[in-house]
Amino acid sequence: MAKDMTLLWGSGSPPCWRVQIALEEKNLQGYNQKLLSFEKGEHKSKEVLEINPRGQLPAFKHGKIILNESYAACLYLENQFKSQGTQLIPEGAAEVGLMYQLIFEAQPLAQKIGEVLYYNWKVPEGERHDSAVQRNKEALKEEMKIWEGHLQGCGDFLVGKSFSLADVIIFPVFAYFIRNGGSEERYPNVAAYYKKLRDRPSIKKTWPPTWIDGPGMGTLKDI
Amino acid sequence: MAAKSMTLLWGSGSCPCWRAMIALEEKNLQGYNHKLLSFDKMEHKSQQVLDINPRGQLPTFKHGDTVVNESYAICLYLESHFKSQGNQLIPDGPEEQALMYQRMFEGLTFYEKLGSVIYYDWYVPEGERHDSALKRNKDGLVVELGLWEGYLSKGSGSFLAGKSFSLADVVVFPTVAFLFRFGLSAGRYPKLEEYYALLKDRPSIKASWPPHWLEGPEEELLLKDI
Repeated sequence: MAKDMTLLWGSGSPPCWRVQIALEEKNLQGYNQKLLSFEKGEHKSKEVLEINPRGQLPAFKHGKIILNESYAACLYLENQFKSQGTQLIPEGAAEVGLMYQLIFEAQPLAQKIGEVLYYNWKVPEGERHDSAVQRNKEALKEEMKIWEGHLQGCGDFLVGKSFSLADVIIFPVFAYFIRNGGSEERYPNVAAYYKKLRDRPSIKKTWPPTWIDGPGMGTLKDI
Repeated sequence: MAAKSMTLLWGSGSCPCWRAMIALEEKNLQGYNHKLLSFDKMEHKSQQVLDINPRGQLPTFKHGDTVVNESYAICLYLESHFKSQGNQLIPDGPEEQALMYQRMFEGLTFYEKLGSVIYYDWYVPEGERHDSALKRNKDGLVVELGLWEGYLSKGSGSFLAGKSFSLADVVVFPTVAFLFRFGLSAGRYPKLEEYYALLKDRPSIKASWPPHWLEGPEEELLLKDI
């Protein structure tokens, strides 16, 4: 089972972290894994390209099956191992609908964080504009306000009373936001959710090893 | 009947809206209530949309009291809720299922690369546009097209996940249709052309074809050179 699985991953990457959390929640500990370095460009190595022609992590194999998209891996694991570990897709139409909606709303959340954090990395010098930097920051602020709203009145989890795929997929993004300087005072609901879940066993066990040494760079402190 | 308790707010010529409409047809949910809104007139930012979707985006969908926004969420919700009616959209076998999920989510990247070219002027204010950026986006789209040509060449069947039509086709076909609508040249991407020809007359797709596309061709064939 887990012995037939291999995960190539990088530390501090929300997509990689999602798959690790899902594997823990489905009681699939003992999978083979290899930590690679983004900084050294190892995500573009032959070993990764052989599984994922896009040269991206996570790259996940289960026997001959390959899944290189974090959401795909999480949905596959929940569907194939439904009856073991934590049930990650709720019962009840309203909760299922909300769960699916939130996991796709996480896409613009992650994207807007990236637009701010990686602006200089993505945009060549001659194409950069202060107006774009400003716009990206405003967009991220608006996005974080939406999530404050989603978490208003929530219990411990994003959907209903139980941990679900919504938490698997979205917790890492909030943790990434806070790690990079996101303000806990300005976003108290996000901060409260983060504090409630960070000690969950599957999350604590898979906490990015490169984050244990100390805080991140603080680039998001003005958002 | 279930469809009567559903409402879809949508716009013509929107890949995300089209995905939801194909899924509704495939699950035999014809007869759902729907309202066509105009992006040009900014109706996606109107109160009736904001009441259901604070992001002011389409598609926005209600099933009784349950609101589901985000096209992929609508598709997954419908398949999960109506599994036993209409066409089965998520294969049971592990290999086919995994491939379906993989292609579905690669489909998000595919749509993003398409949008970075055809929606460049919509996304980027005039003072920030650069030919170098648009060129880079076009090069990115070409690489992406190469990947999908490869997937369709090596696949075990005519559909994205193999031998059966699945959610991967529901969410990705609209992107492929947009490629040809915006002038992708005949002969350059033969497998994509074959896939397009195979599916364009599928009943669920034909029934949900963007209405304004039937009126005439697109004015600016933004993809003719790629």
